[in-house]
Amino acid sequence: MSDFTVQSDSVDVEQIMRQIRARIREKRGVDYTEAELQHLAQVKLEKFIDPRGIRSDLLQHFQRRQAEAPLPNYEFGADSLFESHRPLLRAIRNFFRPFLKLFFNADRLSHALHLQSRINDEVVSRTRRVEDLAYELLHNLTVEVTRLGIEVHNLKMRVESLSARLDFDERRAKAFEGVVQYRTPGPRPAGDATPDGGAPAAGESTDDAGGERRRRRRRRRRRPGATLAETQGQTWTGEAPEGDEPAGDDDRTDQQDSPESGNGAAGNGNGEPGQ
Amino acid sequence: MKLAVVVQRYAADINGGAELHARYIAERLSRHATVEVLTTCARDYVTWKNELPAGEETINRVRVRRFPVVRPRDPHHFGTMSRRVFERRHSIADELKWLDAEGPTAPALVRYVREHEGDYDYLLFFSYRYHHAWHGCRAVPGKAILVPTAERDPAIGLAIFPPVFRMVRAIMYNSHEERALIEHVSGRQGPGVIVGVGSAIPERTHPNRFRKKFRIRRPFALYIGRIDENKGVPELFSYFQRYAAMHPQGLDLVLIGSSVLPIPKHPRIRHLGFLPDEDKFDALAAADVLIMPSRYESLSMVALEAWALGRPVLANGHCDVLRGQCIRSNAGLYYENFDEFAEALYMLEASGPVGGILGRNGREFYRRHYSWPVIERKYLDMFERLRREPAAPIEPLPGFFARRARTQPPAAEIVAAAPAGAVV
Repeated sequence: MSDFTVQSDSVDVEQIMRQIRARIREKRGVDYTEAELQHLAQVKLEKFIDPRGIRSDLLQHFQRRQAEAPLPNYEFGADSLFESHRPLLRAIRNFFRPFLKLFFNADRLSHALHLQSRINDEVVSRTRRVEDLAYELLHNLTVEVTRLGIEVHNLKMRVESLSARLDFDERRAKAFEGVVQYRTPGPRPAGDATPDGGAPAAGESTDDAGGERRRRRRRRRRRPGATLAETQGQTWTGEAPEGDEPAGDDDRTDQQDSPESGNGAAGNGNGEPGQ
Repeated sequence: MKLAVVVQRYAADINGGAELHARYIAERLSRHATVEVLTTCARDYVTWKNELPAGEETINRVRVRRFPVVRPRDPHHFGTMSRRVFERRHSIADELKWLDAEGPTAPALVRYVREHEGDYDYLLFFSYRYHHAWHGCRAVPGKAILVPTAERDPAIGLAIFPPVFRMVRAIMYNSHEERALIEHVSGRQGPGVIVGVGSAIPERTHPNRFRKKFRIRRPFALYIGRIDENKGVPELFSYFQRYAAMHPQGLDLVLIGSSVLPIPKHPRIRHLGFLPDEDKFDALAAADVLIMPSRYESLSMVALEAWALGRPVLANGHCDVLRGQCIRSNAGLYYENFDEFAEALYMLEASGPVGGILGRNGREFYRRHYSWPVIERKYLDMFERLRREPAAPIEPLPGFFARRARTQPPAAEIVAAAPAGAVV
């Protein structure tokens, strides 16, 4: 991850802004304008919210199939070959039926056609069952894909958030590394503690108590609300803060009341909201 | 030397930017000359209702003469007139009606200025867009010095103002951008200087006292000003909430100022209300960064105060003035969209040394350009210069028929066509 570089005490705001923009471009990949980004965000959201965008017309397709009329079939019995809606013709066919049986086996033909009719029914029924199963399967798959999509989206956001936190912590750590000032061990006054902060070998109990007192003192000095701003003022600038912000021990300074008290909230230039 | 400061409102507790600017200048110049303030009886800049008694009084050793406003502003009529002159083709007469509708209409004040011109060496008119400044500058152009406090809003595109900009003896600008804008719309060539205004910066601040008083323990970014849509605060809320979601351990946002907007209920946004100056300066000293989300500023006093106290500023880059000041001072970053806001704020809070260096630059920038001795010297030098230079010719208003001819383009178009951006 690219980082900002401030090499010296002097900074160039325009250069920093260029770095910021380069970093944004690097993150985005493409340099979109704010309007383009809004548009992209809306499109994504619409797709996400609208199930039609994900499911296509699967549901309608299956509903349509369900509503379609069943495929035509025929009923075939032993008399089907000799039937007619005309009574006279039906009577003539029945009259000559025994003669016809002399030339070919009509029963066999009737049986085959009857069997075919049953097979047709069975095929239609099985196809419908398979379609129902497929619908249910596809429906479940679609729901699952949608759910997974949402989960992936959430995980992406969490990863981004964690990455941002990590980045933040790294930068803070770097900043604090710059703050730490290592002391070189120098000559210590007589009677002081050993360089490691512990007590001399002799008089352990007394010095332990002394070390504890020191630690307590240090803890007291360490302010609970110490902030970056104050830390900056104390160390980053590399110089003691100028008189108006006494570092660390502000409450001991004298407050100078200003007779020219100004405003608490500065208005705009003409004393009126921008019109 | 006797000076008059002519301003739309004046009182010790009036907090409008231009009015406070006028008061500071009057009080500072009173150390070098006899200064009188000529103003109206109004307190409220929306209605201009007479709330203060007419006559004389003394505020911080400066004599103040108040004149009544003859009619309060009718917001509906003013809105109608504004739309007419800003958005449509119109006449000079329409613009004059707009000026009357805007107010504060105090003919007694203008009459006094005209009749007592001889009593003063120079008259400093504040806020070009108001009735008192336009009529006052036309009444005494030979002694008028204008402090326009102009912003990049459609009013500056009206045709009635360029002649005034050209006629006055001098213009005391707040920023390079303001000067560029006024010179573009008016073609003015006369004397002018970029001055701005200082502030009553305390010699010592107590950030810890502020933290203890308001129980603020975490590092925070600060906004000071009216919590108003025109100040860009809703955008700030939106950006900050997104930023807070991105950086759960980042800065809090502390708001100081009276609110006309609902404040979002967010664990990291705190509104402290209107605070006295002492707390305000302590807050500035305690903050990591000051955020200025306004798009329209002729000079942000609070940004200057932050710089005076060594704090960096994060400003709205759409405001040419703030952007220009950030660049010129090398003491602030700016943003034009959320990404830039997030990156810049993140940089200020996470890259420690940058904030410190920017703050130090700000302190130096304030000391060099906005400390009171510098400001006073610029005014005094200008008075001295004007003694030697001749006054500009007076430009009369167009005749009866020319004033009524609808030949003026919409003011918004004029402003849109003016060059934008920071002057570096």
